[in-house]
Amino acid sequence: MSNDQHTDHDRLSSEQTAEVATAETTVPPSDERTTDLRPGADNCYKCTACDTSCPVAEVDDEFPGPKFQGPEQWRLKRSEDTDIDDSIMSCSNCMRCDSACPSGVPLSQMHNTARGEYVEGMSKLSREYVRNRILANYGRLARLGSRVPRLTNFVMGNRVTKWFNEQLLGITSEREFPAFATQTFREWYDERGGSKIESEDRRIAYFHGDYSNFNTPEVAKALVRVFESFGYEVAVPEQRCSGTPMFANGMLEDARRAAEFNVQTFSKLIDEGYDIVCSCTSCSMALRQEYPELFDFEDTELVATHTYEAIEYLRLHEDLDEAISETELEDEPALAYHAPCHARNQGLHRQALELLDELEGATIEDVGDSCSGISGTYGWKEEKYDYSMEIGEEMFEEMEDAAGTTGLTECPTCAMQMEHGTGYEINHPLELIEKALV
Amino acid sequence: MVNAPTVLVIGGGSTGCGIARDLAMRGFDITLVEKGNLTNGTTGRMHGLLHSGGRYAVADQASAKECIAENRILRDIASHCVEMTGGLFVQRPEDSGEYFRNKLQGCRECDIPTTVLSAAETRAKEPALAEDVERSIAVPDGAIDPFRLCVANALSAQRHGARIETHAEVTDVLVEDDTVVGCNVRHHTGPGKRTHRAPGTTEEIRADYVVNATGAWAGQIGELAGVDIEVRPSKGAMVIMNVRQVDTVINRCRPKGDADIIVPHETTAILGTTDKEVDDPEGYPEEQWEVDLMIDELSELIPVLRESRSIRSFWGVRPLYEPPGTGTADPTDITRDFFLLDHEERDGLAGMTSIVGGKFTTYRLMAERISNHVCEQFGSKADCRTAEEPLPGSEDFEVLRDHMEAFGLRSPIGRRSTQRLGSRAEEVLTTDGPNPVLCECEAVTRAEIQDAIDQSGTDLNAVRIRTRASMGNCQGGLCCHRMANELHPEHEEPTVRTALDELYQERWKGQRHALWGEQLSQAMLNHVLHGTTMNRDHDPARQETLDFDAFDTGIERTRASDGD
Repeated sequence: MSNDQHTDHDRLSSEQTAEVATAETTVPPSDERTTDLRPGADNCYKCTACDTSCPVAEVDDEFPGPKFQGPEQWRLKRSEDTDIDDSIMSCSNCMRCDSACPSGVPLSQMHNTARGEYVEGMSKLSREYVRNRILANYGRLARLGSRVPRLTNFVMGNRVTKWFNEQLLGITSEREFPAFATQTFREWYDERGGSKIESEDRRIAYFHGDYSNFNTPEVAKALVRVFESFGYEVAVPEQRCSGTPMFANGMLEDARRAAEFNVQTFSKLIDEGYDIVCSCTSCSMALRQEYPELFDFEDTELVATHTYEAIEYLRLHEDLDEAISETELEDEPALAYHAPCHARNQGLHRQALELLDELEGATIEDVGDSCSGISGTYGWKEEKYDYSMEIGEEMFEEMEDAAGTTGLTECPTCAMQMEHGTGYEINHPLELIEKALV
Repeated sequence: MVNAPTVLVIGGGSTGCGIARDLAMRGFDITLVEKGNLTNGTTGRMHGLLHSGGRYAVADQASAKECIAENRILRDIASHCVEMTGGLFVQRPEDSGEYFRNKLQGCRECDIPTTVLSAAETRAKEPALAEDVERSIAVPDGAIDPFRLCVANALSAQRHGARIETHAEVTDVLVEDDTVVGCNVRHHTGPGKRTHRAPGTTEEIRADYVVNATGAWAGQIGELAGVDIEVRPSKGAMVIMNVRQVDTVINRCRPKGDADIIVPHETTAILGTTDKEVDDPEGYPEEQWEVDLMIDELSELIPVLRESRSIRSFWGVRPLYEPPGTGTADPTDITRDFFLLDHEERDGLAGMTSIVGGKFTTYRLMAERISNHVCEQFGSKADCRTAEEPLPGSEDFEVLRDHMEAFGLRSPIGRRSTQRLGSRAEEVLTTDGPNPVLCECEAVTRAEIQDAIDQSGTDLNAVRIRTRASMGNCQGGLCCHRMANELHPEHEEPTVRTALDELYQERWKGQRHALWGEQLSQAMLNHVLHGTTMNRDHDPARQETLDFDAFDTGIERTRASDGD
């Protein structure tokens, strides 16, 4: 700067600058400011497609809908405004508004950021905060509980525990807590000695997430075996929760820590030629869309562009459809398939149907494009349980009408809801593919 | 005052309304006439800057000193119209360092408080600024809503007994024995609050004194009175962005030039401006290149403007004036000072004074000066109280800030409504009935619309300037009809329809120069929505001679098809 020498000289006495300084104190330094998402409102022309696609707005009259939560609320914001309307906590983060918007308004980014700001201002002692923190950090509890899975399952299934959870924490007693597997996926993987295949050019790093590690290891095992059958080396690096339940509960600091760990670990593997593959569509969603929207660690973009959902990856890089069409299954029950909202957002909501249509012996029926209603932790909240079931009603009815009595979906919490509403057993498409190919 | 002198004020802009308030508070019997709605002229067509005086600190220090003094007064008496955003004079690498120092020195000489910010401090304050800005001077610039300010002045004048007549055009100035004794006025839809489709009337308004506060139109009133007033109207273009790119007023720190300011205004940011002399304050070309120039030039300061959405643009005319014989060629060099033209002294015509020149920030001072002058004519010793007495809406506002959430409204809606209404919030927003949001872009509820209708009859543009309803990104596409609906059942369908048409037209007018990108999509969506749901593009009911009997009832056809 050529005129630097004048700067100090030009400064006036503090007394004279007091008036200006007052006007400035309202503006926090840039590193403390939250992202300014007001420009995102430029894309909105108020067509209201987001509101009509919002499952929560349909059942909850108090919820003003994504158009208000997103572009309208952001546009009305001034830099010094910190208060966020509490209705943001009723958004289930299904992200259907994102895919409904014809104009690219970053709705879920707006919601996630506003929710984070709202939660920052919440009392850390309130029941809602404590409950949401617990739900958002399910993985930490699971780590403890799965050390003694039988005892945990007994305690969590106990009527007294459920009553206690509902009264004290506001976690609904209507739902069955998901059972922990007696052996976690990671224990199984270590026990078998890691990947059976070593390969220089076909290698994936598996992001399994907490649920398939602790609760449904059969899904994770299916992924390993299916990829190995195509000659892939499957690495299973250390990892934390993808952050999905944390975003949905506005626990952005928890999410930031988890995301940073995941980005650091997985980006190293990308450098070694690995691509990241997920079996849960919400996990792949988090790595691909939410990380770059909310964080800017080094390599966040790199991780996002190298992340795939499992079936998507095999359809892109291998001829999975061909392999499936050459095999057949016998005595396979008819299946009722539900596409998770987060799969829809990644354009993946038709792939399981298209693929398994080629599989002789399998009968698969789509149960429509409605939301299952659970949206991760949303349906676990005592005050949201009824809404959650009302949203799910359409899917339950379609499932009842479908020929099969076994459900199929990629999302673990959609699976919980499907089971809860119909009593059906629910599988993951990878399990079916494993059965067909391995 | 028994038999108070009657004064007729012509012009419902900031100066006229300020004069009406000042004189009414001093006990005069005031009538104000305005040919459109309040702020119809220059006041409603400015960029909303509350000057710190910094812009004039080098070239026009007298104006700068007046600005900073009035800036401090308005923050106090008009707090609900002012947002103290602060302002920056930003130096880019190609801008002169010497001018930067002159600016700082000038501010110091005019008692304008300043702080010099380094490049890093400047960008920390406004992250949207270009990365290569060198440094800036922080000054107490602010944003001010000219509509609310003008309306509050008129409201205060009314509370002091004034009669305010909008849509009342002066058709003649009455002169008897070399003295102005009043005016002939044409009321577009009769006197009082406006009612669309009501027949127009004329009225002779006689007064002991006439004040011509018509700004750029002063010459036209002068002509009716037979005197020459050489105002030199100069047009300036302004562009409204959909969102705020900045929360501080950003000025380019360079001597003079077009497109050197961006003002955060309510939900939007306003880019300004140009300076070009025109012959007629109403008939001048509005050209696309002026809009393009604004965006191109200001993108050097704020690069994101290049890909940001603009929702409309507008042009205003400055009421510039310089004494005969000064002969300044470039309008940017004409002083921004104001002049009081006593036509008795100047032209031998008693009973009338004109006020010309000046700027919005000093409207109150101008009103004070001319009110003093009127007082002298009548030997009145009444003091001016406009610098101390807050405007309606700005009384005890701090107390109310604590009750922002008290009206059952969601947070940004309650917050915006309370900011607009100030101390009137409780009176306006307390309602027994349902109070839905009618304008979603600007967060305006039914209660606020109804309050504005109470003030302004069926004139939905007058409702608009009071509430900001229909001024957001959909430009009325989703709310014009909801606003019009509020006129029913007090008004019949044809009246409501005419009022709606007028508002919708006005909203459309300003979008003509913003039809690209997102605003083009918006305009198309609005057009299709209004065409398909209200048949606004081809409404047969608008034809006076529609033959309803020619339509079949539909019943016979249904019966016939039953037999198929």
